[in-house]
Amino acid sequence: MSIRRHIPWFVLDSMLMLPLGCLVALTWANVEPLSYYRASHALAFWVNDVGLVFFFGVMTRNVVDETLPGGTLHPWRRAAVPAVAALGGILVPVALYVSFLSVVAEPMLMSAWVTTCAVDVAAGYLAGTLIFGRRHPATAFLVLLSIVSNAIGLTILAVLIPTSLLHVAVGLTALVAGIALAGWFGRRHAPSPWLYLAGPGVLCWAGLYLAGVHPALALVPVVPFMPHSRRDPGLFEEPTATAHNTLERFERFWAPPVQFILFLFGLVNGGVPLHGLEAGLWGLPIAVLIGRPIGVVLFASLAVRIGLHRTSHVGVRELIVIGLTAAMGFTMALFFAAAILGIGPLLQQMESGGLLTVTAGLVAWVAARSLKVGRFHAHRSPPPEGEVSS
Amino acid sequence: MACSDRRGRGAALTLTLLLVAAGAWRAAAQDLRLPNAADSVKFAVIGDSGTGDPPQFDVANQMAKFHGVFRFDRVIMLGDNIYGGQSASDLDQKFAQPYKALLDAGVTFYASLGNHDSQNNRNYPPFHMGGERYYSYATKNVRFFALDTDSLDPAQVQWIQGALKSATEQWKICYFHHPLYSDGKTHGSDINLRTVLEPIFVANGVNVVFSGHDHIYERITPQKGIYYFVSGSAGQLRKGDLRRSAMTAAGYDADCSFMLVEIAGSDMSFEAVSRTGQVVDSGVIHAPPRRTSGGATGGMRR
Repeated sequence: MSIRRHIPWFVLDSMLMLPLGCLVALTWANVEPLSYYRASHALAFWVNDVGLVFFFGVMTRNVVDETLPGGTLHPWRRAAVPAVAALGGILVPVALYVSFLSVVAEPMLMSAWVTTCAVDVAAGYLAGTLIFGRRHPATAFLVLLSIVSNAIGLTILAVLIPTSLLHVAVGLTALVAGIALAGWFGRRHAPSPWLYLAGPGVLCWAGLYLAGVHPALALVPVVPFMPHSRRDPGLFEEPTATAHNTLERFERFWAPPVQFILFLFGLVNGGVPLHGLEAGLWGLPIAVLIGRPIGVVLFASLAVRIGLHRTSHVGVRELIVIGLTAAMGFTMALFFAAAILGIGPLLQQMESGGLLTVTAGLVAWVAARSLKVGRFHAHRSPPPEGEVSS
Repeated sequence: MACSDRRGRGAALTLTLLLVAAGAWRAAAQDLRLPNAADSVKFAVIGDSGTGDPPQFDVANQMAKFHGVFRFDRVIMLGDNIYGGQSASDLDQKFAQPYKALLDAGVTFYASLGNHDSQNNRNYPPFHMGGERYYSYATKNVRFFALDTDSLDPAQVQWIQGALKSATEQWKICYFHHPLYSDGKTHGSDINLRTVLEPIFVANGVNVVFSGHDHIYERITPQKGIYYFVSGSAGQLRKGDLRRSAMTAAGYDADCSFMLVEIAGSDMSFEAVSRTGQVVDSGVIHAPPRRTSGGATGGMRR
């Protein structure tokens, strides 16, 4: 039985191409730094501000699918406990991050606190699947928590990046026009995904760019309007060859280039010097590795206490492992860091920290073994196939 | 009688001590190797100063002594101006107290930010940053540009390009925390920043660049016509941290140090002074008359 039958190809390829790009970047930056930085600066805009538009487009498609019948976000109330847990998974790491930077006297890095919100959805899903299994409610909980955490982070990012009122006004106008156009296309069931990209996509990109919000998010408000299927095909599921709705055609076309874009993203953002970095680089990994599980457990328990329904098969031990798994910032940590900081040593420290958060996957695996959760549960009784409990 | 003798010996001892102290002061002041012209631009350079520890006070006292004979009216600060806590009392202990003599004498400090500084310090009035992370000011034929290399965002890059291009002064001096060229073992050259800033500096005729971050003193051989100095040991030292290379023109990593600089017409004279008042490097840089844009920045003689 091949691994591809258990893990969606998108996740596997992402877990190959992005680390590969980072590895090439790390080697290049430490062997031939001058040529590396010239190349990465030349590519940065096209990769981070343009290429990533399609990565977030494909990711949004997967989130949209999860809101359909059978998806983890359907109905919305299912997301309540993971959403509250996500909030805790942000607040505690932020507090730890700020405290750590105070101790090591690196106050300049405080401005990048929003990076603690970053959770790599694909990496988290992969780790969750390997630890709990694909249909375990803990995996759905993890995905929900990751999406909410990133959504909070992206919202904060939009507020934190300063820009002039005129730019905001013009940008918002373009953004609203883009969304309205996407809605109009959607109502008319416009079949070509290219229409959505060329019209609403370009308008939203320009609007976000002018408003000072990261333009890589341009397709996030456009993709939900593309005509799509009526049921969730499964997170990160590859569209079938016979799929003909607009959203699936969009993903079928863009998913392969997105893997190359992820490679370039790793290449542009993963090249950090392996010497001369300050203690601040440990701020992010320490904050999320310790703070995320604590925050998730505390806030999920609090949510249950105030009357929200406890997710079945997800107890404190599972929550600890979920929190550790969600400490992997990786792709999103690199994205958040590059969005909030300009070129310079601070960005390199945050990027190094973002890369280090990948170790959380290993810590989560060890914790799962020790706590005997998921596939390490001695008397494992997996939830029925297809069940997603809330 | 015995009492009178004791009084006499005490007076003699006090007089001797005063003479020794005055002699030491004078000896240090006599190490000045700058022209000390009447109408020149005179300034001091300190980097990585704000520890509040005895070495910072020693360097500050030495600066005050030199100020007695070399009346510099400004000090440029190369970042890490305040280590550790950043409260009002920290600013007092790690800045206002060490440099009290200079501040009382009317010397103005112009700071740039390092990675150990708080961004809020740009609003600290004695740093004269006007609430900005990066800024420019001029005196006579010299224009200074203070940058924040912690995070070189597109707005700052755009600003420095425009500011350098529109500057008409003969001397363009940039200063910031992270060195584009350094042989410090701990940090070394920041090549990432260099790929962005160096082409701008070369294209717009920057003459001299001062940085800190590595806790040593180093003068770099001119790179693409620009003179680079690392002066990051005004508060703490990384002894033996200088890893001399072909680009090291001079260096000092045996004690804390600061710099004194004088610009008169086309000549910039400089000296690096140790915590004990010893001049550890000195020389003169010559700048050609200002052209409209870009170009080499002249030669140097020692």
